[in-house]
Amino acid sequence: MIKLMKITFALFAALTLASAALAVETGKPAPDFTGTDINGKTVKLSDYKGKIVVIESYNSDCPFCNNQYKTGAMQELQSDLASKGVVWLLVNSVNPNNSSHRTPDQAKQEIADKKIVATAWLDDSSGAVGHLYGMKTTPHMFVMDKTGTLVYDGAIDNKPDPMHDPRTARNYVREAMDALIAGKPVPVAQTKPYGCGVKYAN
Amino acid sequence: MRHIGIILAGWFCLAAFTASAAHTQVRLILSASTARPGDTVLVGMDMKMEPAWHTYWRNPGAAGMATKIEWQLPPGVTADDIQWPLPEKLPPAEVTTYGYDNEVVLLVPLKLAADLKPGPLDLKAKVSWLECKEACIPGSGSVEAILNIGTETKTSGDAATIESWKSKTPKILTNLVARAWWEKPANGDTRPLIIEWSASLKDQTPTYNIRLITEGSDFFPDANDNFEILPATENLSSSPLDVYWRKLVKKYEGDWPKEISGVIVTKSGNVRTGLEVKLPVSDKAPTGVTILPESSAGGTPALPLQPLWQMLLYAFIGGLILNIMPCVLPVIALKILGFVGEARSEPRHVRKLGLVYAFGVLVSFLVLAAVVIGVKAAGHRAGWGMQFGSPVFVVCLTTLVMLVALNLFGVFEVTLGGRALDAAGGLASKHGAAGAFFNGVLATALATPCTAPFLSIALGFAFAQKAPVILLMFLAVGVGLAAPYVVLSWNPAWLKFLPKPGAWMEKFKIAMGFPMLATAVWLFNLAAGSYGKSVLWLGVFLVVVAFAAWIFGEFVQRGRARKGLALVIALILLVGGYAYALESQLRWREPVTEADATGSLKESADGIDWQRWSPEAMAKARADGHPVLVDFTADWCLTCQVNKKTSIEIPSVRAKLKSMNAIALLGDYTRFPDNITTELNRFSRAGVPLVLVHPKNPEAQPIVLPEILTPGIVLDALDRAAR
Repeated sequence: MIKLMKITFALFAALTLASAALAVETGKPAPDFTGTDINGKTVKLSDYKGKIVVIESYNSDCPFCNNQYKTGAMQELQSDLASKGVVWLLVNSVNPNNSSHRTPDQAKQEIADKKIVATAWLDDSSGAVGHLYGMKTTPHMFVMDKTGTLVYDGAIDNKPDPMHDPRTARNYVREAMDALIAGKPVPVAQTKPYGCGVKYAN
Repeated sequence: MRHIGIILAGWFCLAAFTASAAHTQVRLILSASTARPGDTVLVGMDMKMEPAWHTYWRNPGAAGMATKIEWQLPPGVTADDIQWPLPEKLPPAEVTTYGYDNEVVLLVPLKLAADLKPGPLDLKAKVSWLECKEACIPGSGSVEAILNIGTETKTSGDAATIESWKSKTPKILTNLVARAWWEKPANGDTRPLIIEWSASLKDQTPTYNIRLITEGSDFFPDANDNFEILPATENLSSSPLDVYWRKLVKKYEGDWPKEISGVIVTKSGNVRTGLEVKLPVSDKAPTGVTILPESSAGGTPALPLQPLWQMLLYAFIGGLILNIMPCVLPVIALKILGFVGEARSEPRHVRKLGLVYAFGVLVSFLVLAAVVIGVKAAGHRAGWGMQFGSPVFVVCLTTLVMLVALNLFGVFEVTLGGRALDAAGGLASKHGAAGAFFNGVLATALATPCTAPFLSIALGFAFAQKAPVILLMFLAVGVGLAAPYVVLSWNPAWLKFLPKPGAWMEKFKIAMGFPMLATAVWLFNLAAGSYGKSVLWLGVFLVVVAFAAWIFGEFVQRGRARKGLALVIALILLVGGYAYALESQLRWREPVTEADATGSLKESADGIDWQRWSPEAMAKARADGHPVLVDFTADWCLTCQVNKKTSIEIPSVRAKLKSMNAIALLGDYTRFPDNITTELNRFSRAGVPLVLVHPKNPEAQPIVLPEILTPGIVLDALDRAAR
């Protein structure tokens, strides 16, 4: 059974290879997906229509991700946006054989320990959502406006370094949010994501 | 005392400090222990990674981070930029990175001011890097080494190490011919870029053995904040003299870049050579170069327009070689007979027949070209030999070839008059002309299941072209096929070795019927693939046709009385045989479609464990990290069968496949399935054989084997793939 699953994943991965780089495009409707969060609840992107949605490709063992959390910068952004009614989805696409994979219980513990403020943590160990969105790195950020249009795709900020203080960097997600809330166009719609490669199943 | 100082300094410089993180050890090594003021000393940051851990290149790719060096140098010493040895392209494909496994020495030239005082200098640096295996860890460390400033340069024990890593850094060649241009306007935020470079470096520095397009060749771009040159490199080159690559560029911010930079990587054996390039990007292709649009189905690479004359030459040579390919050999029997028959005629007549034969070939090729153009226009995919995918065609050709054999046996004559012996001279020449024309048609019909060296390149090119070029290319193949006979008929003196015509000719003619009969059997066997056991009814039909032919020959052509009755009987036999055997029993126009079974296609108990090829099977095998041997073949492709017997299904290859845990996939092109046509087109081929060896590394390009194989070629390719 596990072998069969592996084969399925491998096939899926291989088939999406070619399209991965061009999976989503800013200015176009973000593709809908259905996933399961760590509480076993079904999460569907289109359920959040009418709200601004942030998707974060997440793996806290990755030093680039971790830097955002250990400094508290990411949580600040999360709680700030939560107070403005923004939906924040963590997508964890680490495959189950990787040491960075988290079981639902470990994930709940991590949310508590790191004081993460997120609407849901999606267990994407199959890589389905990651591949659909062409998530390359952790952190790789996506922002959808209230109509479900992808308005930002790229890095969290302009400092591709696992040691910097994120508060001194130019945070593209915050910029996009401020613009959206002010009803202005997003200044930077696309950047090259940096970080660790997503640990997809192969 | 001074001596002790020097000794001490010498000792210090060996005792370089090292730093280590969890999985990477780094130390600073120097090429010289003592250097003079004004010198430039090459130093190296030697990074040793634990197995499976890697660090990154100056452009880490989709993820990762380039290693950084922060120098703390005494006054009078300045560090230049890092010189990066060539990295590896690291999987997985969806997040391709450029980095180093095991060990790398990053090189830095240190410039020493001319006014430095003699004595030891303390060189310090802080190195920070990202090391990744399953997870990534940031690493950093401080390293230092002591360089003595003296009156003469003394190399250090690490000089050789530094030199060997220096040879792995990209070169700058002033005479490299390279250019880049946008292939077409942007599609969303990506845009295809063509990089062309030529390595016919006439006066290149002799130490660099720069080989042209090989499977390890690639372009490693530099990093840029505003755009990314995606890692996949599509090779469009069709000539080994000029390399064309298509790269997709993804734009993040700003305008499309006006200039790109990176490293062209070439590979010769196991040695890679990098060439630094910085290329302005033109908006248009340079004059004289046309990259043809992708075919309508998309995704398949198109060939850049090579000079047409070169492709026409390939087509001509391919046509020439076709004459000795197994498919056409039976027709040679006919031609030999033809020459013997012609040898007694006057030269003018012989010449005429040679031209008529050529005309027959060319007309057939025109028909083929028209079919290909028509099929393409109808939005389908066309391929060389595709008519053999049609059972109806195979049945017709089987019948025809059998009739030719019967004709050679003398069962009946092909004449317009009725009595060959009584025919007037004029009629005989007419007969000869018709025969020569028919020979040309037959040669073409039988040639199509073969491709030959040169021909596959030419056809691969032709099938992607517009109608006039297809026509021209097909004609060139036809000219090549017909050329030897035309030349021979023009110089009848060359035919003098043939014996004088006589009674032996009748025997020779009958003898030549047997290769023709063998061809019929081969075609019959092809039909068996389409009709299964019912193919028996094709056999029955053939017997009835043969019987009718005999009645026609014996009683209509050579008979004296009741010719009409004989003709009626022959016709009744033909029509009856057709209606009953072909229509009602064989149902020849509705062949049984073979179920696409999966599982082993082993030919014998100890044979290669062939699996059916499909894009999915292929992707899976590669994703699982197996080397893969792919044989695209067809029952009607004699070259393929010969390859298989001599060089693939042999004990040494079987053993090799087993030992390297390779997967063997068989792509059966007999029935012309679309997905295989697509795959053939991807390799710029219009037909089979196509044998590929995909290396173990899922990133590496497959090795394309030549059309005609030897065991050595196959084993060598497998060896390379296993690495």
